[in-house]
Amino acid sequence: MHEVGIISAMLKTLERVMEEEGLTHVEKVVLEVGELSGVVPHYMEECFPAAIYKTPFEDLKMEIIPGMIQCLDCEAEFPVRNEELKCPECGSDKIKPAGGTGFIIKEIYGS
Amino acid sequence: MDPVKIIEIKENVFADNDAQAERLRKELKSQKTFLLNLMSSPGSGKTTTLLKTVESLKERLRIGVMEADIDSAVDAETMARTGVRTIQLHTGGMCHLDAGMTKQGLQELSIEDLDLAILENVGNLVCPAEFDTGAVKNVMILSVPEGHDKPLKYPLIFTVCDALIINKIDVLPYFDFDMEKVKEYALMRNPKLKIFPISAKTGEGVEAWTEWLHQTVTEWIE
Repeated sequence: MHEVGIISAMLKTLERVMEEEGLTHVEKVVLEVGELSGVVPHYMEECFPAAIYKTPFEDLKMEIIPGMIQCLDCEAEFPVRNEELKCPECGSDKIKPAGGTGFIIKEIYGS
Repeated sequence: MDPVKIIEIKENVFADNDAQAERLRKELKSQKTFLLNLMSSPGSGKTTTLLKTVESLKERLRIGVMEADIDSAVDAETMARTGVRTIQLHTGGMCHLDAGMTKQGLQELSIEDLDLAILENVGNLVCPAEFDTGAVKNVMILSVPEGHDKPLKYPLIFTVCDALIINKIDVLPYFDFDMEKVKEYALMRNPKLKIFPISAKTGEGVEAWTEWLHQTVTEWIE
């Protein structure tokens, strides 16, 4: 339910980007999903077919790659690893998702 | 068919909702109404805390409340007894409110004559944190029985909140809840977080919270 709401929000953003870029069709979207985003990539993939059902995006493919997080102390950005949430540069544990919620549309493949 | 282009977007998934939320905040500013988004788990004492808050501020501010739940009007009926204008929003199964739904709710509540509109979001620590409702401030309630490790388990909500109310401090002696640890963990995720330990039941600590809210609302609507 949660992930369906998020995919719907993403599709709205996609619609606008298509208009801006003059695209008529998007075949793939690449998402960066961060450890702090509260989203489980596995569930995103599970509910994806239901979320795009009867929308203009019925043949859309989705790829999920790990999101980046940013150190609040030294501002270094680094990808999420499953172990401790610590900055690999300075060792600080004060971190935040890079790019807001750490849930980013990285790129789309469209024509 | 045209060749496929790869377009780099690097845009937040929630960009459209965020933009809508930003527009809503501007509208609220121009009509001098403050919107508070209150989030928590189910059973953290959100409605009781809200009742105390409304009782304490209703002589000084014109308040309206929106109760968002998946179903039922239990909370709205309780709140309506305080005499402040209250509406019930049903999310129809959705686990959160987005900026569009919040705006509709505000229209239904009719906020022209209100200083403070309070949105009691769906009880949940995950989804409401992702969707900016357009609120001026986000506040979450964590209650003692939930445990002091929640900032580690649900980090996002702590990063989006301006204030954290730690409720049910009257039962502290019965739980292994470490007040210093919870503060440390929460500030680790959000160094600017204001923290208010309270008991909505006994009233302890409630004044510090309502005074902060009163001052924050006053600054916004002036």
